[in-house]
Amino acid sequence: MSYLPSGVYHEYYRQDHAWWQTRFILAKMILLGLIIFYVIPFWSGLYIIGVATLIIYTAMGALGVQLLIGYCGQVTLGHAAFLAVGAYTSTLLILQLHVPYLLSVLIAGIVAGLWSVLFGLPSAKVKGFYLIMTSLAAQFVTVDFILTQYVSQIGGRGQAFSLPPGSISIGPIVLDDDVKVYFLGAILMVLLTMGVVNLLRSRVGRAWIAIRDNDIAAETMGINIVRYKLLAFFVGGFIGGIAGAYWVSTLAALSPEHFPWFWSLWLVGVILIGGVGSIHGVFFGSLFMVLILEGLKFAIMPLIPYYPELSMKFLFLKEAAFGLSICLFLIYEPNGLAYRWWQIKNYFNLWPFSY
Amino acid sequence: MRLFIQVIITGIMVGGIYALVALGWTLIYKCSGVLNLAMGELVLIGAYTCLSFYMWGFPFWLAVLITIVVGFIMGLLTERLFLDKLIGEPILTVIMVTVGLSFFFRGIVMFIWGTDTMVFTPSVFPAEPVNLWGIVIGQVYIWSFVAAMILLVLFVGFFKFTRWGLAMQATADQEKAAMSLGISARYVYATAWGIAFIAAGVGGALLGNINGLNISVGYLGLLVLPAVVLGGLNSVPGAIVGGLIIGVLQNLSGAYLDQFTPGGVKEIAPFVFMVIILLYKPYGLWGWERIERV
Repeated sequence: MSYLPSGVYHEYYRQDHAWWQTRFILAKMILLGLIIFYVIPFWSGLYIIGVATLIIYTAMGALGVQLLIGYCGQVTLGHAAFLAVGAYTSTLLILQLHVPYLLSVLIAGIVAGLWSVLFGLPSAKVKGFYLIMTSLAAQFVTVDFILTQYVSQIGGRGQAFSLPPGSISIGPIVLDDDVKVYFLGAILMVLLTMGVVNLLRSRVGRAWIAIRDNDIAAETMGINIVRYKLLAFFVGGFIGGIAGAYWVSTLAALSPEHFPWFWSLWLVGVILIGGVGSIHGVFFGSLFMVLILEGLKFAIMPLIPYYPELSMKFLFLKEAAFGLSICLFLIYEPNGLAYRWWQIKNYFNLWPFSY
Repeated sequence: MRLFIQVIITGIMVGGIYALVALGWTLIYKCSGVLNLAMGELVLIGAYTCLSFYMWGFPFWLAVLITIVVGFIMGLLTERLFLDKLIGEPILTVIMVTVGLSFFFRGIVMFIWGTDTMVFTPSVFPAEPVNLWGIVIGQVYIWSFVAAMILLVLFVGFFKFTRWGLAMQATADQEKAAMSLGISARYVYATAWGIAFIAAGVGGALLGNINGLNISVGYLGLLVLPAVVLGGLNSVPGAIVGGLIIGVLQNLSGAYLDQFTPGGVKEIAPFVFMVIILLYKPYGLWGWERIERV
């Protein structure tokens, strides 16, 4: 049903370029929109909204990583640095200069993008493992040195910037409860996803994919690989910056500990589990990772009366489970959840005549 | 001037330990092409094993020996269970599996031993420092350096003169030719992981003697990366020299640059050096330059 009949029957370019080519897909999208913007915020509890907000934040960060790793082939293990730059830019603009929040989010994205380009510069010369090392340096230099030692001194607020309630508002609306924060996240997420998907079907996206598949071949075809790589770093950092600035709205205080190296690896783990090189993968990965962790919490809850130390050591178990699940996914399901989803969809599309 | 020499010597002493761990890293890369980001956790496992046995009343040398045995077995198991299935997979997959392994190991280490700093009690090496022509060095540093050097020499001798070591060298050089001569590549991979676990574990035990042992000792595993990048990824002498240089550079920047900043230079200086090296000499001192064709 979601497939077109064989052959191309388009009569106008508009039809050929349409996002949703059949009514069935359009209906699915409307259903998804209803769930995101109506069912979750108004028909579920605060707990589910909180989890959904976390999923949105994870997916936003992972979208930038997906663009860099999955579509342009530039492996980054330091994306949390760009999230942190975005978060700090936005917070400083709000606290020091009283810039409106939405404007500060936009500026945060641009600053984080430029910061990302700075650390993407070596990609002109090196790739693969060496580039990974550079992104590692980006993480430690940015978060553990510049932010912790210098930026945290601005304004004399101490190590953490506290955000008093009501300091984050969009026009007259003060972002003070979970539902509003969720709505902001959902809208940003939809806009970013649409932007990225559109980029990927354009000249820029095709150039990125060519670079990912073989950069030398891409260069011989006339693609300016340095420019496109840096553009990928900019867009990836931009998305990361917006994700970080968005996360500010959920926090009471911002400190460098919110952006550890763990979080960078977490984002890469999300796209690996979801599926590299697929926008679906970003969402499947974030859903899977966040829900598994919540599930693990529930599974451990009944054991706590018998083993009281479990609640303290839950963090360690979480790390170990995360590591093991990444290993097992990469060994036994290297294409990620998105591939499995595609297979399931295919099965039902052809059902009952699948072969 | 006194400070300068003091700093250099301390740097070399610590650098010896880095060199030992870097050797383990390079060995894995040379033999099996795996870029291992879990080195810090191998360090932690070895260090905590050694500390536990020492606390149970074993003498230190015996504890180190047990660490070596445990490390070797863990290395074989890790290779067999995780890395063996990934031969021929893309580089990102393999790297991320080692990242996953690092989380897995770290979670388990913290689950078992907790996050508090543990100290070797009673201390293994005498506490009073040695005065060499006016330069004061803690005995811990000297003995750690000596131990690291002994192990390094043993490893290099192993590669140069024993049948197993030669088999590993052959595999690293030309895998197909080595296999056609009857060398089992899978055994070589497993041995490489075992030796890496040994090197990292002993390095961790020595480092744990210097500053006490907590989870941040695993940071050593990341420090190794600048060292191997500086030396060239697939060069054993490069790893040793790189480890020493990074140790010296780190201590120098700690001593001389720290006063200009609010602090923390010592931790990030190696990474800044690494980026600079990557920009100007991406294949390091002795690494193989790779020529790519479409």
